[in-house]
Amino acid sequence: MNILASYNWLASSHAHDLTLEEFAKRHTAAGNSVERVRDLAAELKHVVVGFVEAVEKHPNADKLRVARVNIGTAVVQIVCGGANLKAKQRVAVALPGASVRWHGEGEPVELRETEIRGMKSHGMICAAVELGFDLLPQGPHDIWDITKVTKAEPGTPLADALGVADFILDIEVTSNRPDCMGVVGQAREAFAAMGGKFRWKPKPLKEEPGAPALKVRVDAPELCPKYEAVLMEGVKVGPSPWWLQKRLMLAGHKPVNNVVDVTNYVLLELGHPLHAFDADALAGGEVVVRRAKAGEKMKTLDGQERELTPDMLVIADTERPAAVAGVMGGEATGTTERTTRVLLESAAFEPVQVRRTARALNLQTDASLLFEKGLSVQATSAALARAVELIRKVAGGRVASAPFRFEAKPYQAPVFPFDPQKSSALMGVELPAKEQAAFLKRLGFTLAKNGKAYDVTVPYWRDHDIEDGRDFVEEIARLYGYANIPSVLPVGEESPAAPIPALHWERCAKDILRGMGFTEIYGLSFVSAKELERAGVAPETAVRIANPLSVEQEYMRPALVPGLLGVVEANQRRFPHADLFELAPVYRPGGEQLPDERLRLTLACVGTDGRSGFLRAKGALERLMRELGVRPWRLERLASGTDDARWHRTRSAAVWAGEHDHVGMVGQVGEEMARAFGLEQPVFLVDLDFEALVPRCSSALSYRPLPAFPESKRDLAVLVDAKTSYGPVAHALRDASGLLEDVELFDVYQGAGVPEGKKSLAMHLTFRTHDRTLSSEEVEAELAKLRKMLETGFGAILRA
Amino acid sequence: MQSQFEQLVREAEAAVSAARDAAALEAVRVDVLGRKGRLAELMRHMAALPEDQRRAAGRAANEAKQRLDAAFARAERETAERDRAAREEREWVDVTEPGAWPAEGHLHPVSTAIAEISDLFARIGFVRARAPEIDGDWYAFESLNMPKDHPARDDWETFFIGETPGQRAHGTKGKLVLTPHTSNVQVRELEKGVLPVRLVHIGRTYRRQSDISHTPMFHQFEGLMVDRDLSVAHLKGVLEFFAKRYFGAERGIRLRPHHFRFTEPSFEIDITCDVCQGGSLGPCRLCKSGWLELGGAGMVHPNVLKAAGLDPETHTGFAFGWGVERTLMMRAGIKIDDIRTLYRSDLRFVSQF
Repeated sequence: MNILASYNWLASSHAHDLTLEEFAKRHTAAGNSVERVRDLAAELKHVVVGFVEAVEKHPNADKLRVARVNIGTAVVQIVCGGANLKAKQRVAVALPGASVRWHGEGEPVELRETEIRGMKSHGMICAAVELGFDLLPQGPHDIWDITKVTKAEPGTPLADALGVADFILDIEVTSNRPDCMGVVGQAREAFAAMGGKFRWKPKPLKEEPGAPALKVRVDAPELCPKYEAVLMEGVKVGPSPWWLQKRLMLAGHKPVNNVVDVTNYVLLELGHPLHAFDADALAGGEVVVRRAKAGEKMKTLDGQERELTPDMLVIADTERPAAVAGVMGGEATGTTERTTRVLLESAAFEPVQVRRTARALNLQTDASLLFEKGLSVQATSAALARAVELIRKVAGGRVASAPFRFEAKPYQAPVFPFDPQKSSALMGVELPAKEQAAFLKRLGFTLAKNGKAYDVTVPYWRDHDIEDGRDFVEEIARLYGYANIPSVLPVGEESPAAPIPALHWERCAKDILRGMGFTEIYGLSFVSAKELERAGVAPETAVRIANPLSVEQEYMRPALVPGLLGVVEANQRRFPHADLFELAPVYRPGGEQLPDERLRLTLACVGTDGRSGFLRAKGALERLMRELGVRPWRLERLASGTDDARWHRTRSAAVWAGEHDHVGMVGQVGEEMARAFGLEQPVFLVDLDFEALVPRCSSALSYRPLPAFPESKRDLAVLVDAKTSYGPVAHALRDASGLLEDVELFDVYQGAGVPEGKKSLAMHLTFRTHDRTLSSEEVEAELAKLRKMLETGFGAILRA
Repeated sequence: MQSQFEQLVREAEAAVSAARDAAALEAVRVDVLGRKGRLAELMRHMAALPEDQRRAAGRAANEAKQRLDAAFARAERETAERDRAAREEREWVDVTEPGAWPAEGHLHPVSTAIAEISDLFARIGFVRARAPEIDGDWYAFESLNMPKDHPARDDWETFFIGETPGQRAHGTKGKLVLTPHTSNVQVRELEKGVLPVRLVHIGRTYRRQSDISHTPMFHQFEGLMVDRDLSVAHLKGVLEFFAKRYFGAERGIRLRPHHFRFTEPSFEIDITCDVCQGGSLGPCRLCKSGWLELGGAGMVHPNVLKAAGLDPETHTGFAFGWGVERTLMMRAGIKIDDIRTLYRSDLRFVSQF
């Protein structure tokens, strides 16, 4: 929450001799963060009071007129379109150099002397909205007629003439301190933080001896711990005087009529919302504070028909609800120009009920926002008395009833123990008990010595936010100043906690993939039912959010594939060739337990088809496994009967780590899924259960001595059936020779020179043994053995 | 004899300078310095000279040899230089063509920020912890001193898990929620009873908001230290360490009193705005009077310690929780002004990092 506090208004409750800058700094340091300061005199620079001496028609435009305006130093000619412009008016004249917002819209623009349709105009006669007073009720084409507002001489700066040479402080108020939503609360804080004089004192209500009692009944004391009301008669409802309108507008409130304005003024001053009823509109002349009945309806002040439920508290007359308690009054019982008898209400309502009601009705008001924070039951009397005082002043009338007062239970100010020594220890700075006590006293707490400690009584305006003795430490620390507390890096024992492997390897994997040229994708954790279905996942098997923001974000994603394919699709026109990855948690239902959250790693290689596409993805997988130190691992071709539409059946394989752990898949996105996601490029995926891989990751290194004897290299090329897999061939070669150190496939060829249905495999073979140099005869003999083995074992035909 | 040597040197020098290339030079060298060359020839004649003349002739021969060697060496250098110049002229490349890049990968800026944050806290002994993103409301709220009717627990603020055949919406630790902060790590770690605790937890968090400065999913990092005798001064020390290292020593920092349920005292940490230089460049759209809010912090509330089974009389602690994205966006120079940009997965965005 924020309050727009007039600096002049603050000064009427708190006297000090600080500069504005110093004030703002110290107020902020104590926790009342002054976020912005608006300087009205600066905004209204070069805007002066003008006296309209004569108005003539504009020779070249129907809707414009030409005014001769006395601006003190001269009489000037100004072209003006104001519908209400008249001679003998006092108006606000923006002279060249002033900043105005054209028709109240956009950024302020600096005025220059100009010519409008052939007539010179020395400045501009402004509408209120053009000078930042948007809230003043005015006709759409009217200029601001200030004849009644000020008697100032022409040429007087407007800010002085209107009494708005002021600063507006935009101050943040934390949710636990609704008492700071009033100017008096702010002044109280300022006094505590920076000294000076705090001048505000509550005044009692001036009662009329012998006035009749009010008929009020509180039927739901659990939702209304305090209710006060008083009746005023002979009230004359009309527009408020300027001083009142001005304060409301500068604080962001729209003036309505003098009675409503007074309730808002008290709200701004004391932070306590009030409500004014037209007493003659209350049926039966009675007020009942009760829960709404099921299906009960009322029209609120904003003209909306509201349906109420028994969870909601209403202020009713004998027939129907007259207000949603603490939220908004009813249209039928509000004050109007015809009102003469006003019933003023000052109450405290149970905060949770107010919040839920406001939310359920989708109707947040200044009042509801305050009541839902929790207001003291002790704040009501002063607010009511102040409102009565002000209404008498601006609308006349007299108190016509005995004040009604209901209290659910007698008030007891909270008392908590306070130990200055512990407080010092927690702040990390040695502060004498007396000094600490003095800070608390300045905030309005009363202290009674109790041994070395104190019993502290909480003032009523703090009875919600102070919950126990610990809370006093903050009060002292913020007044002492956090800037004065030393900054110390903690020493002490090292944390005994062991690093978490998954977090370590997560980061390693990301760095490795980045190094391999992959680009990281960071998706939201949500997924829609539609996306799940496209990816072949039944939505019922995913974790569902009960209150999602939209159907697009209804489920927690159980896989990264749908999101990643969505990214591929969205980028495919600009990036037809891309390597992407995402490493993030996925979520699976956990039955009675918490959902299972596991890190998953998915790679997408976009834009290469066929064998090359597969090898690109597989190469990435191989490199990743090597760098993560995962050994052993292997691929297994999908069983021929596999019916999984997500994968291309003959270009995909399962990834196994160790002997028994199926940790993922590598392969091409199946045709059906590719179509469902609108993919225009071939996409190969690597999809891994990263969490299962983590225990197998290793940075352990071991050194193998460099060979003492040279190797012998031979090339071998054979023709085999096109569907013979290379893996078993290499495996058989290694098995067949104890001298074969390495096999490297360097060419696979089909085409001219190779018979239909066959392919050529060309391999580099490396022979070596650890204890001697192999002779050429030995190597040839070994090679012959291997050729033979390939002929018999794989039906291979040797090539030259 | 001396004059003969003198003449040989002169003629040889002339021939050397006339030689146009390496081959011509070599021919001259063989002719003059070769085994059967003119110098050798002259020296053979020296043997026939009388003793007294022979010595003078020997000196002349040596001198001639040195001068010839020097002449040839110089000529060879010059020839080599000419050859190199010619070769390199033929081998000209255009150095303004774009380079051929090794494959270039990109980490998402949030990943990088998480790594940097982890590293900074690791330097002062904060070990990374992990906590569920979907957790019971006991850990997410109740144990953090946020009672049942706290506004954050309303279902327009926080995401709740729906009941499905595979997933109960209510666990042993209360209703399941998408954690709106990383603070559920606090009681989870503390109740393990292994002290002192000095941890940082960085994770995904969820709130029902979406606008220019909010995405329904975002990241927070949470620091927690619980030990004996910890004070606000220590918290200040840790926060200043982080802020100065991450944002730069030239940025100003302040602690401003604030309110959070799970800390007492509580405050916000502000850092000077780099766009308006802490307000010195006049009104700024981004910040509030020269200051940007970094995040919240405070001393762990006694009720939180109690909820974890610790005695607030013997142990104290501090905690802080900040948005990773916000922290990242507030770094000087990065200029990301809409948080949603981070999660639109436009490769033109990610490729810039």
